[in-house]
Amino acid sequence: MAVSTTAVTAAAAGMPGERRGEGRRPGETDGPVGGGSPLGSFIGHAVLTLLSLACVLPIGWMYATSLRRPSDVYATSPLPWPLSVGNYRHAAEVIPIGPMLFNTFAVAALTALGQLLTGLLAAYAFAAWRFPGQRPLYLLFVGTWLVPFQVTMVPNYTLLLRLGLLNTLAGVVIPTLCTALSVLLLRQHMESFPKELLEAARMDGRSSWSVLWTVVVPNLRPALAALGIVLFINAWNEYFWPAMVLQRANSMIQLGLRGFLGGTEGNDWGGLMAASGLACLPIFALYVLLQRHIVSAFIHSGLK
Amino acid sequence: MFVTLAAVEAPEVPASYPAARPSAARRVRRALPPFLYLTPGLGCLAVWTYRPLAEAARLSFYSWNLLPSRPKVPVGLDNYADVLQLPQLRSSLWLTVTIIVCLLPFSVVLPTIVALLTQQVRGRANAVYRALVFAPVLVAPVASAAIWEWLLDPRHGGVDRLLGSPVNWLHERGPAQLAVIVITGWHLLGFAVLVVAAGLAGINDDYAAAAQLDGATRRQIIRWITLPLLSPTLVLLALMTVLLSGQLTFPLIDTLTQGGPGDATTNVYYLLWEYGFKSFNAGLAAAAGLVFFLGFGMVAGCLVWLFEKLSFHDN
Repeated sequence: MAVSTTAVTAAAAGMPGERRGEGRRPGETDGPVGGGSPLGSFIGHAVLTLLSLACVLPIGWMYATSLRRPSDVYATSPLPWPLSVGNYRHAAEVIPIGPMLFNTFAVAALTALGQLLTGLLAAYAFAAWRFPGQRPLYLLFVGTWLVPFQVTMVPNYTLLLRLGLLNTLAGVVIPTLCTALSVLLLRQHMESFPKELLEAARMDGRSSWSVLWTVVVPNLRPALAALGIVLFINAWNEYFWPAMVLQRANSMIQLGLRGFLGGTEGNDWGGLMAASGLACLPIFALYVLLQRHIVSAFIHSGLK
Repeated sequence: MFVTLAAVEAPEVPASYPAARPSAARRVRRALPPFLYLTPGLGCLAVWTYRPLAEAARLSFYSWNLLPSRPKVPVGLDNYADVLQLPQLRSSLWLTVTIIVCLLPFSVVLPTIVALLTQQVRGRANAVYRALVFAPVLVAPVASAAIWEWLLDPRHGGVDRLLGSPVNWLHERGPAQLAVIVITGWHLLGFAVLVVAAGLAGINDDYAAAAQLDGATRRQIIRWITLPLLSPTLVLLALMTVLLSGQLTFPLIDTLTQGGPGDATTNVYYLLWEYGFKSFNAGLAAAAGLVFFLGFGMVAGCLVWLFEKLSFHDN
């Protein structure tokens, strides 16, 4: 949400002063700014603990259920004991989890790479040149956020049909190769880039293409990595477009999960939780490993 | 805008020196690079976003059942008239607005409270809370549908056991709507907290310190300094809620309730989807899609206008 941070910083430049001291109550004491009194701090901890628990409990319950013995699925102990991988084995029998995870990984990685590349090139054009039609073209990118998926799905479906790409993983990847998010975010990063570096590179008589790859990209590496992770997660979790393109439900993990969910008449919870757990596991692993990058990438990325 | 490469300088060569004037081909070559860099991205948008949008606009004047072998019958504005007369339209529109309004506590109010509280809490605990609240953002919509279907199971689910009352959450009107809202809120909260935290971090501490010297209490500082300075961020979050609520609720509705029971959870996005693919009425779906595209475009425009107005309230 880079827009919001800059806007707030700008807003912080002035303050409505006329309200100062109004309604001041004598005898009321306060800690240092932002520090809070011990009572305030206690209430803060209590509320935040409750809220964090509410957020994490559903996820915890999924893994708890998945790790129980298949016969214990309805047990209510918060910690599963004795542990068992029976549910995972069962889930692997119902849907081909291994190939699905592989396919999903390939699609998500290719999508993220493609979106990074198109975004990088477009952002470079917007940040490094002034040219006629710049603003309308930029708005064309931003405007994609207004077009609902439901409007474009029928025409895109018929185009894929004509191209013979229905039921292929390429058909999933190709239509999503450009996203406004990477253009906007990378443009923002490039504009805060020291111009001396680029001018020096230009003095050397290098082409804009070589400046991009030898000066801009190496300096943008942290932003590119963070953005890449976000794009990968989005692509991994994407469900509707793959569901339309691939009629075989067992080619990507989200579709397999959906088929599993629709197929069980409410009594295969152990297997379902195991499959869901596996579908989320790579993302959680990424999150734990790269937590700080992901959080900052999400902060700066704004609209998904 | 850091370097202005060739494109700008090129046309400014004085015309009185014909010899120095670059040839047309040369000028084109100099102006070309930015457009070349834009080609892959714009090409994608043209083929996969704007061409379909134009095609939907064209399709909205025809009656067609999606089969390539069947002819498209021109019907003029009939599809638009049908869209506006759809019996479910009013209820689904109303539901969409209700969902958006009910999501605001999760996307604006609660995140503000959480972010203000995390300010009071020092040290590592702060980061831990934020990490935990953020975790649901990463859960895929389908996986979350599976988790909640299990939690909301009428006999053995965690929620009914916790409350001790047997509610058939997904098969009763009110509870199903509540479930869709709460689950979406659960997905949204962590992200909104981060956004508000970023907004708070951008507010200069000096104002609060100055007000405190004048004897303002913590509550007064929050009410008269922090919240006004935070308002652009909050408007932006509201904008996000309006624009993304459809995307966020859609997979949940499709997997958990299929718009039901009855049409209790059929919002406009789900209605569009049903008309586009389930009832094989492509013309009607396209017309409905365009109506909503324009509607949400206007709402977004108003919110952006509000956002810019609020951003300028400093001085």
